[in-house]
Amino acid sequence: MFTRSLAACALALGLLATGCAGGTSIGANPNEGATGTGEVAGNLRMSWWGSGPRNEVTNAVIDLFKAAHPGTTVEGESADFQAYFERLNVQASSGNMPCVTQMQGRQLNDYTTKNVLLDLQPMIDSGAIDVSDVPAEVLDTGRGLDGKLYMIPYGAAYDAMTVNRTLAEKAGVGLPPEGYDWDAFADWVTRAQPGLPEGVPAVNLGGSLPNNFISYAAGRGESLFADRQLGFSEDLLVEFWDMWERLRAAGVTTTAEATAEEPNQTEQRYVAQGRVLVDNLPGNALTPAQKTLDGTQPGQQLVTLPQPKGPAGPGNVLFTSGFSIPTNCDNIPTAAAFVDFWMNDDAGAKAFLSANGAVTNSRHLQQQLDDPNLPALKRAELDLYQRIVAQNPVSVVYPPGYHASFEGAFVRAYESVVFGGTSTRDAARAFITEVNAALATT
Amino acid sequence: MIFGRRRSRNPLVLALARHALLVAILVVILYPLLWMVGASFRPSNEAFGTLSVLPGNLTTENYVEGWSFGNLNFSRFFLNSVVITLLAVVGNVVACSMAAYAFARLTFPFKKTMFALMLGTMLLPYHVTLVPQYVLFNELAWINTILPLVVPKFLATDAFFIFLMVQFIRTLPHELDDAARMDGCGHIGIFRRIVLPLSIPALGTTALFTFISTWNDFLGPLLYLVRPETWTVAQGLNGFLDATGESAYGPLFAMATLSLAPIVGFFLVAQRLLIEGIATSGLK
Repeated sequence: MFTRSLAACALALGLLATGCAGGTSIGANPNEGATGTGEVAGNLRMSWWGSGPRNEVTNAVIDLFKAAHPGTTVEGESADFQAYFERLNVQASSGNMPCVTQMQGRQLNDYTTKNVLLDLQPMIDSGAIDVSDVPAEVLDTGRGLDGKLYMIPYGAAYDAMTVNRTLAEKAGVGLPPEGYDWDAFADWVTRAQPGLPEGVPAVNLGGSLPNNFISYAAGRGESLFADRQLGFSEDLLVEFWDMWERLRAAGVTTTAEATAEEPNQTEQRYVAQGRVLVDNLPGNALTPAQKTLDGTQPGQQLVTLPQPKGPAGPGNVLFTSGFSIPTNCDNIPTAAAFVDFWMNDDAGAKAFLSANGAVTNSRHLQQQLDDPNLPALKRAELDLYQRIVAQNPVSVVYPPGYHASFEGAFVRAYESVVFGGTSTRDAARAFITEVNAALATT
Repeated sequence: MIFGRRRSRNPLVLALARHALLVAILVVILYPLLWMVGASFRPSNEAFGTLSVLPGNLTTENYVEGWSFGNLNFSRFFLNSVVITLLAVVGNVVACSMAAYAFARLTFPFKKTMFALMLGTMLLPYHVTLVPQYVLFNELAWINTILPLVVPKFLATDAFFIFLMVQFIRTLPHELDDAARMDGCGHIGIFRRIVLPLSIPALGTTALFTFISTWNDFLGPLLYLVRPETWTVAQGLNGFLDATGESAYGPLFAMATLSLAPIVGFFLVAQRLLIEGIATSGLK
């Protein structure tokens, strides 16, 4: 009886785990080669990530689109960044992605390699989507591993060294010199430390932050990825971690324990609370970080600087967000019209006001910078973006599985150095082996 | 030394010490909650940076701002949550108790196999069934309705609660069933007149845990309720946060504080039900 029960149980589990999805075909591409031309009408599902303020400006653009295209309706779906991708994964697995789906370059190839997104080049060629005002190197961040364009980037984020200018001036070191590199950065934080208030380290321990390493590799001219493998040398990673270990030993960083405990949300980061002089934050985090600092340390002021450069050039890499159109979309002309409207409508761009990274349309960027009513912090974000783009930043194509395999492993590997006493060489070797194995099987 | 020993035996001192220890532990346990309530009365940009539970610059702005949510307000989210949660509670209590009665009292072919299957579903990680369920509900055009969150509850899909009630019903004496049967009751009558009234503790536990898990559920509503007007409280709270932009912590803490009220209220009601159920069951 027990054997029969067990067998029945196993059968049922198998059916539950594999059976019910039979009706939906994932990976079929009935819209391949779609040009996006046709009648712009009917309902359109559109999804994005963000909280209240971004939802409001997104809805404002949606209203403008509906006014410009009578007969269309738009159903918006929003969620926080992490929840957004949790839901999107299920929708993608089920062939139910919204017709206009917001994507980010770092996750893009998780979807392109599963054949759930359309190549958008035919829509550009047909004139349905105009990207003539988007710089080529920015547009390239929407390409898949196969070189096809799967995302039209509309907003560009970038990493920036966020410095507490007030503390830097009190410490008597001012800001790092123009065009500074990592050596100059290390020298600057070391000189700043003696003049900082008791308990305020000069720099947040950054050895476990992948974005710092991405910047470091870009400045050294090494590729982060080569197809579906890591593209940089073991020596480069050892060099990077040795730099942070020297700073940690010199007592100018936060402790490893404090860094491990630091929450991710901008408002809870130490630099936003005046508890550290400098840290790497996304450039568009300046506004919420300064608002928090206004509350916790009234009078202190933050500024953002480009990432330290390297011998091969600037250390900044762009992280873009944009729109994709999935293969399951049944209203491609309207989806293409919406993307085109978002990319090119002046009133829409003004309403959105670079709420998710700097606007990638150069004309809109200039319009926003020329607006005397642009808030000062937003102006600082856009100014820095314009300077970074002028330096032709490196474009990174992230392989599928990047988020799942790279970021967590990077943190673990550096923590094995600071907590476990592993040598930086051994940690780098273990990290590269682990991530290459994971990327190869993704 | 002797004086000290005598003092430590003083019942009043011992009681005071015990209570002081308990209060200290209570403060530690309640501190995060008290901090959140305090932060809900602070300006948003002062939410962090202090460990004090007392607001410095007292403001009720967060409650006003938090209650308004785009073109909607939190009353919509509360209403949605209440409807879904109450239906889930009713569904689970009714369906799981009926299934439990069948497993505990009826005799039918493959009963043990089916019971093993039912227990086996408890071993399945939720994510294994996520995509098949989503596909099914999508094919049924149930996305953006509360049906995916409610209908399964009426089909006795929560194996844990079935198991809980089976175990409880098995403790009820069969003589009560026999007596009812002699009075002319069938299975429906025995279930309704004998088993259900005596199962109030198990039903209360099921209701309580279903209420809490449904009220706090985020993933289910995230998947199936995508239009803001259909959101639940948990989704509304998530709407204040975003890792890539500005978050509104003050309104988040304010609405999170309010969202606790139904759970606390239901717990108090269900707790009384539990006690009454045990006291009136006649089986002590």
